[in-house]
Order: sequence, then structure tokens, then C-alpha cells
Amino acid sequence: MEALLNGLISLTDPYLLLLLLIATIGGVFIGALPGLNATTGAALLLPFTLTMEPMPAIATMTAIYCSATFAGAITAILINTPGTAASATTCLDGYPMAQRGEAGRALGMAVVSSTFGGIFSVLCLMLAAPLLARAAYNFSPPEYFALTLFGLSMLASIGDGSALKNLIAGGLGILIAMIGVDNLTSVERFTFGSYELYEGIGFVPVMIGVFGISELLVQSQQLHIKRETIRMKSVELPGRKDYRKTWRTILRSSGIGTFIGILPAEGATVASMIGYNEAKRWSRNPDEFGKGAIEGVAGSEAANNAATGGAMVPTLALGIPGSATAAVILAGLMVHGLRPGPAMFTEQADFAYAIFWSMMLVNILFLIIGLRGAKIFARVTLIPVQVLWPSVFVFSIVGAYALDQSMFDVWVALGSGVIGYFMRRYGFSVVPLAIGLILGGMLEQRLGQSMVMLDEKWWLMFSRPLTLLFLVLTALALFGPALWGRLVKRRAPLESSGE
Amino acid sequence: MPQQSKQDLPKQDGRSFERWFIPVLIIAFCMVAFWLTTTFKTMPPILKRGIQPSDFPQLLLGLLILLTLFMVWKDPIRIKERMQGSTWGTIALFAVFAATTAIDFFLALAIFAVAMAAYWGERRLSLLALVGLVVPGAIFFIFDQVFEIRFPRGLLTNLWYG
Repeated sequence: MEALLNGLISLTDPYLLLLLLIATIGGVFIGALPGLNATTGAALLLPFTLTMEPMPAIATMTAIYCSATFAGAITAILINTPGTAASATTCLDGYPMAQRGEAGRALGMAVVSSTFGGIFSVLCLMLAAPLLARAAYNFSPPEYFALTLFGLSMLASIGDGSALKNLIAGGLGILIAMIGVDNLTSVERFTFGSYELYEGIGFVPVMIGVFGISELLVQSQQLHIKRETIRMKSVELPGRKDYRKTWRTILRSSGIGTFIGILPAEGATVASMIGYNEAKRWSRNPDEFGKGAIEGVAGSEAANNAATGGAMVPTLALGIPGSATAAVILAGLMVHGLRPGPAMFTEQADFAYAIFWSMMLVNILFLIIGLRGAKIFARVTLIPVQVLWPSVFVFSIVGAYALDQSMFDVWVALGSGVIGYFMRRYGFSVVPLAIGLILGGMLEQRLGQSMVMLDEKWWLMFSRPLTLLFLVLTALALFGPALWGRLVKRRAPLESSGE
Repeated sequence: MPQQSKQDLPKQDGRSFERWFIPVLIIAFCMVAFWLTTTFKTMPPILKRGIQPSDFPQLLLGLLILLTLFMVWKDPIRIKERMQGSTWGTIALFAVFAATTAIDFFLALAIFAVAMAAYWGERRLSLLALVGLVVPGAIFFIFDQVFEIRFPRGLLTNLWYG
């Protein structure tokens, strides 16, 4: 309780409040730009936060996360191009609404449902994260190893690649994490005698490369695309009739989004898809979906913003990222010398609660900014790509350099960008690569510690109930979808033949 | 600026060059990395802390090879669209940027930004000046004055640092 209040008090710092306001506006700006999203925004911002104290640094990154996730709806509704992948389902009904002259109403609903979803999930975060951390407090290395493995297994289902390709990309990320001096034995690995590789490859330049520079190359493929913006007079708050129609959807989607967000590695995109589908399934007028149903906008937006709070639960409580952006935030925590995990809620509880309160505040801030400024933010889509992306490049390169003031990091960022582009081109998502890079070292370290603890008898891991549970969950995450698919396929002919 | 025509799109029969090239590349990379792991120092039992430094990378590389082989069978590489000249051109500009950093880091950034904007089709001088002068200049001053970052010395930065 004391930590909860201390966290709230830390928000009275005018510098922090100003920073949160700027970050929220910046996040809305980033989210509204097609091609840029919360993950890229957080990755690009990370080097800027290095000179800050940990609290404002992480609060700024979470502000970008929350506000950019919401802002994807602006372009989804006005130009039928989701600013972020999490807003793809918002296009389905938001754009038809805009076409029939209801852009302001659609945006109003997007803002309100996003705010509700966000606040709901932060409240859940405040309750769930300390409980989860308390449960995990007595974990030993084998449990942590199995938990990290479970977190990595969830990589199979994230990003835009297939499960197999995601796992390969995650594996490559873990392999990159092996470069440098081994933490356990101090033996050099894959360093080729290079001084720069001695401490390994930093996450920040890799993230700037795979999220920022690779997107620049993706954009270079789309120069011929012309976007038409629908004009909007003003953003309207939804009326009583709209609330009566959507309150159940908003509540349901907020719950779905929070739950999906809590699952390691599952983020706002999956949440918005499920939120939208469930809104349609429970609607009295499912036929209206896809033609401009306001419930569709509410279902998608409440879920994707609720996932932001949910994703921070495993990130802070267990040190396992709940989404791609949470992975960047996790990298930010590590760069600032913080150790996310159960100890955070005992040793740095004030810090953890201050982050929660700042997320709550950001959700309220973007309600105001969204309602007042959506019309202005919609205009950022008019910035020519020929101006935007060279600027992003300059920003990315300087950011990569600034971390350690090393040109080597610039080459890492450039190289990661080109490799990231080719990975995306061949169907491999870059998100698992980034998460693998963050968790790789942790996984090996925990395996080593487990082996020491179990006297090198690895099979004893199966005799520990919690370790076994996480290993079973890992197996289910990896093989469950394929087995389920086979089961459904086998049953389908029987059902169709009437048996 | 290079344009894409519909005739440029590759066949979607899964027999493309990349279908085999990418898995072969990944497997070859893993095999070379595996060979490298055999050169890692081996620790005496008392110092090995549970696993040898090469154990985990070897396990991972073996798994990656298996997954890649499985991918060839179950989920082969498919190309959605042919890579355009504009992308190759942008990558070539990266190389130009890397080369010009030898003269000056910020000069290289400015040249790259203008060249990229022009290559992507921007012809308005005001906007070219914005991306080539204002953006790198503003970023330089923010990092130099606010974050106190020292940039590598070069033709232009020497003028500033003295």
C-alpha cells in the first residue's frame, strides 16, 4: 500500500508530467504514421532515455507504448491503413463509418474504448503483477529456466511469420545473444578476437535495425502506393445510444485484451483480432460488421489497448516480455541496470507502482489529446514518405551511435536492418529475433544454474512440479496448434458425413 | 524512380530459387557456427558451472538445423513480390553512407538523407534542404547539447569541436 502511494506521489514531479505529456503526444504522432508503430517508436526512443533516471526513462517508453497503440486507429479510420498492426481490425468498420461521414464518431468511440481498455488493464496490472511476482518469488533456477523456455515457445505464435519461421528467427536471436564472453565461464565465444564483440552485440542497435531500418526498406517497396484521406469535421464523443450498444463489447474486449496481453509474447495484434471476433460473435447485428459497425471499432480498440497493460504483467513480474514493445521496454530496464522479475516488487516496489500510475495517466492523457487533436494528428499522414523515412534513418543511426558512442553499433544497426528486411521478405518475423536476443542469455544462464543445482542430472527437472508444468505448457504451445489442427481435420469429414 | 509492373511478379509455384537458397544458407551458417563452437575452450569439471561454453550453442544450432529442414518440408519460402530497384538502390545508398562516414559522420548522414529523399522521388528543394540540413542539424544539436554525446571527429564536426 505504501509503495502504491509512493508511486502515485512520484507522479507529482512536474518534469515527469511534462515528459509524459510530450511522450504521449509523440506516441500518438508515431502511431498515426503508417509504418511506424509502438515497437519502432520505443526502440528509437531508447537511446534518448539513457541520460535520464530509470523512472522517467521507462515511464516515457510505456507512454509511447500506450499512446501509439491507440493512435493506430486514427489512420485505420481515416485512410484505411492501420498505423499499427494492432489496429488492422479497426479498419474493417472504422473506414466504412468514415466513408459514410461518421469519421468523428468512429474516432470518438476508438478513443473512449481505448482509454477504458487501457485503464482496465492497468488496474489488472496493479493487482496481478505483484501477485504473480509473489508466486514467482520462490522460483529456483529450474523453474526460471522452464518459464523462460515457455516464454520463448510463445514466440511461435507471434509476429507475422509462420510458427516454424518464428522459432527459427527466435533461435537466431538466441544465437546472437551467445556472442561475447560467456557469463558463466568467461570463455570467449564467436568473438573472432574482436574487441567490439567481447561484450556481445547490444540489444539496442539490433532493435533499431530490425524495427526501424528494416521498415525503411519495406517502405521503399511501397513508394507507388497513394493514400486517400477522408476529411473529418471534428471528433465526436459517442452518444448514449452508442454506449448502450457497445458497453458490453468494451468490457468484454478489455478483459480479452488484458488476458491475451498477460500471455508471454502475445500482444495487441492478437488481442484486437480476438476482441473483434468476439464482438461480432456476441453482437445482435453481426451482419453489420465489416460495413461500419461501431461495436467493431469498440471491440478492436478496447482489446488492443487493454493488451498494453496485460503485456507489462509478465514483463515486470517475471522478466518475460508480454509483447514486442514490452521486449524493447524490457531491454530498456536492463540497459538502466534494473532487473525485472519478482525482486522488483520487493526491492523496487515504488518504481514498479510509479510505472503503473504513469500508464494510467497516459491513458487519461490520450483521451484528451485524442479527442482534441485527432484532426491534427490525422494530418501527419500527409507527411511525404520521402521526408519521413530519411529523417527516421538519421534518427536511428544517431540513436544507435549514442548508446556507447561507438561506430560499431552503427554498423550493427545497419546490418540488422538489412538482415531484418530480408528476414521479413522471406516470411520470418523480426519480433522473435529481438525477443530471442533478450532472453537468450537468461535462458543459458538459468540452464547452467539448474545443472549446477541438480548436479548435472537434467532429468531431475521433470521431478519438480512447477518446472514440469512450464515444460508441459511449452510443449503445448509448440505442438498444440498442429495437433489441434489435425484433430479438427480428422473430425470434419465425420461431421460432414453426418456421423 | 524505379516502378514495378505486374509482369515483374514472380511465379507462386514454390519452385523459386529462394525456396532452396535460404534454407541452404541457414544450414550452412549453422554448420559453420557449429564448427566454431568446437574451437571454444573446454573448462575443467570444477569450473564448468553446469554446462560447457559450447554445450548450449551446439544444442541450439542442432535445433536450428532440424527446424530449417522441417521448414523446407512443411513451410517452404514463398516470395510475395519481386524485390524492387528502389530497395536495392536504398541498400546501395547505405553502402555510400558507410563509405562517406570516413570523411564525416554528419556529412554522411546529410548526404544520405538528401540522396534517399531524391531517389525516392522528392524534387522540392525546400524539402530536400529540410531532410538534408535541418533534420541532421537539429539531431546533432539535441544530442550534443542536451545529451552531451561526442560524435566522431571529421570534416564538419572538427569545425564544431575545434
